[in-house]
Amino acid sequence: MDTHLPFNVRLDPFATLGLAPSFVLDVPAVERRHRDLSRALHPDRFVGTSSSERRAALAKAVEVNEAWRLLRDPVRRAEVLFSRVGIPIDHQPATEPAFLMEILELREALGEAQAAHDLGAITRLSTAVAARARLLESELAEGFESARDDRDRLEPLVGRLGQLRYLQRFLDQVRAIEDDFN
Amino acid sequence: MPLLEIFDPKAPPRPIGIDLGTTHSLVAYVRGGHPRVIADCDGELLLPSVVAYGPAGVLVGTKAKLQACDSPRDTIVSVKRYMGRGADDPETRRLGPYDFAARGEAQSNVVRFQVQGTTLVTPVEVSAEILRTLKRRAEDELRSVGGAVVTVPAYFDDAQRQATKDAARLAGLDVLRLLNEPTAAALAYGLEKRQNGTFAVYDLGGGTFDITVLVLDQGVFQVKATGGDSALGGDDMDRAIAQEIFEQLGPHTEPALVRRILDDARGIKHALTESEEVEREVLGRAVRITRPRFEALVAPLLGRTGAVCRRVLRDAGVRGADLDGVILVGGATRVPCVRAYVRELFEQEPRSDVDPDQVVALGAAIQADLLAGQGVRDDVLLLDVIPLSLGLEVGGGVVDKILPRNTTIPAAARAQYTTQEDRQTGFEIHVVQGEREMVRDARSLARFTLKGIPPMPAGLAKLEVTFRVDADGLLSVEAREQTTGIAQLVQVKPSYGLDDATVEKMLLEALDHGEEDLVERQLAQNRIEAHRILASTAKALEADRALLHAGEELCIANAMEALTKASKGNEPALMHARMDALDLVSKAFAERRMNRAIALAIEGRRVDEVASEVSS
Repeated sequence: MDTHLPFNVRLDPFATLGLAPSFVLDVPAVERRHRDLSRALHPDRFVGTSSSERRAALAKAVEVNEAWRLLRDPVRRAEVLFSRVGIPIDHQPATEPAFLMEILELREALGEAQAAHDLGAITRLSTAVAARARLLESELAEGFESARDDRDRLEPLVGRLGQLRYLQRFLDQVRAIEDDFN
Repeated sequence: MPLLEIFDPKAPPRPIGIDLGTTHSLVAYVRGGHPRVIADCDGELLLPSVVAYGPAGVLVGTKAKLQACDSPRDTIVSVKRYMGRGADDPETRRLGPYDFAARGEAQSNVVRFQVQGTTLVTPVEVSAEILRTLKRRAEDELRSVGGAVVTVPAYFDDAQRQATKDAARLAGLDVLRLLNEPTAAALAYGLEKRQNGTFAVYDLGGGTFDITVLVLDQGVFQVKATGGDSALGGDDMDRAIAQEIFEQLGPHTEPALVRRILDDARGIKHALTESEEVEREVLGRAVRITRPRFEALVAPLLGRTGAVCRRVLRDAGVRGADLDGVILVGGATRVPCVRAYVRELFEQEPRSDVDPDQVVALGAAIQADLLAGQGVRDDVLLLDVIPLSLGLEVGGGVVDKILPRNTTIPAAARAQYTTQEDRQTGFEIHVVQGEREMVRDARSLARFTLKGIPPMPAGLAKLEVTFRVDADGLLSVEAREQTTGIAQLVQVKPSYGLDDATVEKMLLEALDHGEEDLVERQLAQNRIEAHRILASTAKALEADRALLHAGEELCIANAMEALTKASKGNEPALMHARMDALDLVSKAFAERRMNRAIALAIEGRRVDEVASEVSS
C-alpha cells in the first residue's frame, strides 16, 4: 500500500476525559480519570442490558481509551493541541537541514553500535537523545503555555513537534534493537 | 440450601470459567461468593489436555493419556501449541509424534492432524473435545451451564484467540469472554488479598509464557504492559531433557518412542523438584540426570523469559524491586530453578500461595460470575490491553503501526492513506501483527483488496482504515474509500483460521439432532436475551425517568410490549425484529444515560455513591 497521510484528529481527547487542554499533564491524575470513566463505561458493566445501552457504552469506552492513548503520547498530545486551534499538522514546514544532518549522524552512530554489538554505546546514544526529547517537550510546554490559543504564536512551535517526532522514532528504534539483543 | 439447587430440574444456568491449558484444563464456578474448581467423578480437578481418536470413538483426559504411548499418532497432546498456527509454522515441525496432512489446494493454511489413518482433525476440533468434556463435568455438578469465560495466554495473537473462540463455540459453549490468563490469575489473587499496588504475574505454563504488569486500584485491575512467548513452557523443558536422553541413547524417531521419552522426561523433571539427582531406566538402559545438568539445560529457556520480563518492565515504567508483588502461575513455576530465576530477576521473593495450577480457572470463574450479572462485586473491573502492535503494510514492505501494543481495549484507531499511482482502482490491504518494522518479520493476519474505486490521479483517493479491537482482544478492520464511500469490513480470521461457514458446519455436525436442535436452541437463547433487555430497560426507565424526552416513554413502552408479546411466541425472527425496534427507540435515551454517567465519573462520583447520598 500507499502513502500514509498524517494522523487526523477527530475527537477532542481533552474534552472526552473532562480535562482542560494543556501540554503539561498530571499523568497519575489523568490515569485515575481514565480509570474512573472506565468504571462507568466498560462493556463489562453493560452485559445483559439492551443493545442500545451496550452500543452507547462501547462507543464511549472506546473513545475514552483512545483519548488516553493519544494524550499520554507527547507527540500525539501536541498534534491534538495544534489541531484544536486549526493549525494543520499535515503540511509541516520542512525540518531544518542542520537538525536533519544531526539525526542522520545519530542514526549512523546507532547503526555502527548495533553492528558492533556495543550496548554501552547504544545506551549512551539513547540517553543523550532522550534528554533532548525532554528538552523539546519542555520547550513545547512553555510555548503552549505562553501562547495560549494564539495561532500566530503557536505556528512556530510546529517545527519543534517535527523534531520531537524524529527523536521519538530514534528512541523507538533503540528499543527495538535492545529487544533484539536481549 | 445447595442441595435443593442441585436437584432442581429448573436450576438456573450457572456461568463457568475454563482454563484451557497446554497440559491440563480445568473448569470452575463461583458458589457462595467463592470460586472453586469442579472435580470429576474420581475427584480429579485437572483434566489432562489429551485427546485420543480410536476406532471406538474419542477419549479425553486421563484415559486418552494412558494410551498415548500405544497409539502416539492418534493421541493429541498439547494441542494448544497448534492453535491458530499455519501448517508451515516452525512449531508444527518440532519434536513430536504426529502426522500432519499436506496442505490442500483450496484449503486455508491450518494445521491438520491425521488420525486413525485417514481422518483429519484441526486443533480447533481437538480443543473442542476437551471443552466439551469440561462442559459435561460442569453440567454434572450444576445441571445447567450458562455462559463461559475461557482463558487464553495474554500473548496469544489474533489467530490463536479466534481459534480458541471457535473451539468453544464448537463445544456448544456460550462464550462470555476470552480472558487473558495472567489477568485471570491477578483477579483471583487480588480479590483474595485485597491489596492495592503494582504487581507482576509470571506465568510459565505447559506451552506458553506470559508476563503481565498490572495495577490494582480499588477493584480495577488495569494491565500496564504484557509480553510473552506463545511457544515456550514446561513442554520445552521436557524436550530439552528428551534431547539429552537421546544423546545418551542415540537418536530415535519412532513416534511411540518419542512419546515415551517425552513422558519419561516429564517424570524426571518432576522428580528433580525434590531430588538432586534422578536415575531412570529408559529402553533398558540407565539414564542419569542431575539437577545442575537439568538447570543448565533449561537456562536458555529461562533466559528467554528474562528478556521478555525486562522489556515489559520497561514498557510499564517500573523496576522489579518496586513491584508490590510477583505472582507465580503455571505448573512449570514449581521447578526450583524457575523460582530462583524469578527471585533474582525481580529482586524479591515471588508468591505462590494460591495453587499455581488452579488460580487461572478460579479467576475465570470470578469473571464469568461478574459478567453474568450474578456477582455482588460490581466494584471489580478488568482493563486489559493488546499484547502485540497491530498495523498495515505500506510501501516498501514497511509496517505502519495503527494500534501500539499495550493499548487498553476495547480500542479503535483510524489511519488515512492515499494512492501512489494515477488511475489506481484498488487498494491492497495487508493487516499484520508484531513489533518489527518490516512486514516480512511480522505475523500476517489478513489480506484483502478494496476494489471498484474510480480512476483518479495519484494522491486524490482517500482511504480510511479503521481498526477495532473488542474486549476479547479480537480485531476487525474496516476500509473505506472516502471520496466514493466504497467500504469493506473484514473480521480478521481467514489467513490461519477457519471461516465462519466451516465453524457453523462443524457445529451442526456436532449437534446430535442437527438443525431442529439449533432452531430450538436459538429460540431459547433469544427468549433469555429478550427478558434481559426488557428487565434492563425497565430498570433504566425507573432510574432515569428524568432524562426522557416528551413522547419517548410511550414509544419505549409500546416497543417493550411488542417484544414481550413476541418473546412468548415461537418465531426467532420476530423476536429479533422487536428487539431491534426497542433498540432503535431507546437509542437516544441510552446515549443520554451514558453522557450522564460520564459527567458523574468526571465529577469523581459514582452512581452508587450518588444514590447513597440521596438515600441518606
